Amino acid sequence: MQDMNRPEIRVAQPDPGPVAGEDQDLAFLLAQVARGDHQAFEAVYGQLAGPVYGVVRQVLRDPAQSEEVAQEVLLEVWRSASRFDPARGSGVAWVLTMAHRRAVDRVRSENAGSRREQKVASEAVTEYDDVADTVETSLEGQRARRCLDSLTDLQGESIKLAYYGGYSYPEVAQLLGVALGTVKTRIRDGLIRMRDCMGVMA
Amino acid sequence: MKTSPDNMHVLTGSYALDALDVQERTEFERHLQHCPSCQAEVRGLRETAARLAIARSARPPAQMEQRVLAATYRTRQLPPLPSQRLRRDLRQTRLARLFVGWLATDQPRPDSRPDHRTGRRSGRGRRNGWSNSWLRSPWLAGAVAAASVAVAVGLGITQVSTQHQLDSAQARSAAIAKVLDAPDARIEATQTTAGGAMTVVVSALQREAVVTASGMPSLSSSRVYQVWVMSSSGARSVGLLSSTDHIGELLASGVQSGDKIGITVEPSGGSTRPTTTPVATVPLTT
Repeated sequence: MQDMNRPEIRVAQPDPGPVAGEDQDLAFLLAQVARGDHQAFEAVYGQLAGPVYGVVRQVLRDPAQSEEVAQEVLLEVWRSASRFDPARGSGVAWVLTMAHRRAVDRVRSENAGSRREQKVASEAVTEYDDVADTVETSLEGQRARRCLDSLTDLQGESIKLAYYGGYSYPEVAQLLGVALGTVKTRIRDGLIRMRDCMGVMA
Repeated sequence: MKTSPDNMHVLTGSYALDALDVQERTEFERHLQHCPSCQAEVRGLRETAARLAIARSARPPAQMEQRVLAATYRTRQLPPLPSQRLRRDLRQTRLARLFVGWLATDQPRPDSRPDHRTGRRSGRGRRNGWSNSWLRSPWLAGAVAAASVAVAVGLGITQVSTQHQLDSAQARSAAIAKVLDAPDARIEATQTTAGGAMTVVVSALQREAVVTASGMPSLSSSRVYQVWVMSSSGARSVGLLSSTDHIGELLASGVQSGDKIGITVEPSGGSTRPTTTPVATVPLTT
């Protein structure tokens, strides 16, 4: 009788939180993956392999190396799906943050020290559309590109060099010939402007 | 390179783009733990950065899918983190309402409640031996959830208030979450003589306690429930419980073993010292 008043307390489904419909699906899928569901993982792969491979390749350039890192990232999604916490951000951001960071870590560990700086100094500001042959178009991707184009030149260049180029902000400052503090602020201002342009939920 | 705390906030963008070196990243992450507004901003900027990745989406090599899928069958998965389970529980506001209802009509005596998941019996209001099993205690999960109702209600109310108030509400809920997440957090609970119950989660390490009350009867508009830290040297006020529903959560700082948490009924606005006999006290044996 007392049991009737007693709530059933257990670890329940993660609260999907205020995210877009697609990402609710992804959060749900990731919870399934955490329980060892291979089919759910295939669905996650289907949604995210393109952006993961795309961003890793954008940073690393070398196709073989990119494939290797993309595979590591996707396997890491399988391995650590239980650590995904929907309260802290969307599933897309969780996976793509992991992908980008791993690509950047690969770049930094390979280019440690002065060799990297020399290379940076001699390299022209690269055109970041040159892997366009394999780029897939999605509505969201198009929107992001439009928003990126709406930034000031310095904001846009700083963000592209940092994110797509995988450069640290001091390297970005060096490449663009501007002060460190300027780059830090431009990156932040530009990203905030992009966020507002795309209506990303914070 | 070294960055002063004042300049830390501007690094949110570079952090979200992984454009900090390892040392600065570590420093920033340390700063982030104590900066709820930075956390919120980083979160939004990370989502934005993810869209930059989507804009560069590319078709992976055909054989990659087979390789990855095959690898999953050879790869063991990580278990969830304990603190994450707790955070997840923290968000169960629906659950919390149920729990509050249960507390309000609470008849079962302590020390005989079976754990829903393990089938073991977990003591309630017990002062010793919580050790690590408290993490699996549905009772704590409920109490934590009850605390989160108040946090949620608080945040809901501030929707129409200023950003500053919102920030301080977030900072407070972060401070509360820190106590609930503390490795040595322990739970103490008691019925109040007025009805309803008071629950205290205390961390000796942090010398802080989160006080929640629920199911307490409404008072006339001229009276309020006030929460105190009572020690041998006297009592100091922790704060007033929300008057609308008498569910509240308050953070008591600087507590130590031997102190008691108490609730009294006071004239509206509260008193500087308790003027009535407490309806409940919980000793803190940290």
